[in-house]
Amino acid sequence: MADNENDELREQLLERYLGKPLGPPAEAPDEVNLPMIRHWVDAMDDRNPVYLDQELASATRFGGIVAPPAMLQTWTMPRPRLEGIAERGGVPNEIDPDNPVTKLDEAGYLGTLATNSELEYLRYLRPGDLVKSVTALESISERKTTSLGQGYFVTWVTTYTAGDNDEVVGRQTFRILKFDPSTMGDAR
Amino acid sequence: MSAASITGPGPVKAGDALPVLEVELTTTMIIAGAIASRDYMPAHHDREFATAQGAPDMFMNILTTNGYVSRFVTDWAGPGAMIRNISIRLGVPAVPGQSLRFTGEVTATDDNGDEREVEVAVRLANDMGDHATGTVLVSLPAACQPLPRPAV
Repeated sequence: MADNENDELREQLLERYLGKPLGPPAEAPDEVNLPMIRHWVDAMDDRNPVYLDQELASATRFGGIVAPPAMLQTWTMPRPRLEGIAERGGVPNEIDPDNPVTKLDEAGYLGTLATNSELEYLRYLRPGDLVKSVTALESISERKTTSLGQGYFVTWVTTYTAGDNDEVVGRQTFRILKFDPSTMGDAR
Repeated sequence: MSAASITGPGPVKAGDALPVLEVELTTTMIIAGAIASRDYMPAHHDREFATAQGAPDMFMNILTTNGYVSRFVTDWAGPGAMIRNISIRLGVPAVPGQSLRFTGEVTATDDNGDEREVEVAVRLANDMGDHATGTVLVSLPAACQPLPRPAV
């Protein structure tokens, strides 16, 4: 079902973006901190004591309080500009249009569906860690025919670092389907 | 508390089921998760915005889904456990008014010195189908005590 040949759009996008950072590195506006951890564990009703109980956490492998691992992405989330966020389709800030998603939008692949997330943790974050992240395009699939229409699976890898020597603490691989809703049901 | 209170699931083998977690999702929970993860996308707190985009309701953001997966596994694995990897495939949205049911099963274990590396298959489902399915890798200290509660 894939259209392997003469897919100029895909070739152009790969040539332009593959492996290159998507914008400058993101730096967390705050160090890993207890108030944000507390908000998180209350939101998920997560009562694992290593996130807030210093005495118990000290007796574990972690040697002290650590942040919930799934918060990894939270620390470097951009500070949002709430005014106009709905008009921007929910994007928290103006984004540089020089990116593969915008190019796919412009080519008619307007639909977006998140399909996969993989989080890898090398060490848990501790209060005081300042997290940075860099995101790079990992792949764009061949054009596929899906139940939502024709489209491309686009995969990014975000690498998270912390500490003075930019130790890698985790990675996220994130995949979306960019599809053309007008081609839904097209037989190929 | 002392090290003796660092509990875990005790002996673990492939085929073991994790205790089921059932979360009666509300609008409040979905918004709380979105804001705690600093995700201000309106689809995660604004019902009108979400439905105008074709979703059945406002829906849980992916960070919150991963947060709940982590909680589901460490509720079982205990505070001595370290999550190594959460890999999920995303399905139907998690929406208010539909209970989200978490089930999990140990699919593999591997002893590695003082650690036991455990692979858990997880499934999060609501009335519409699977919200997320995937695999969690979690490392347990080999010496952890059984949890003081009945196995399910």
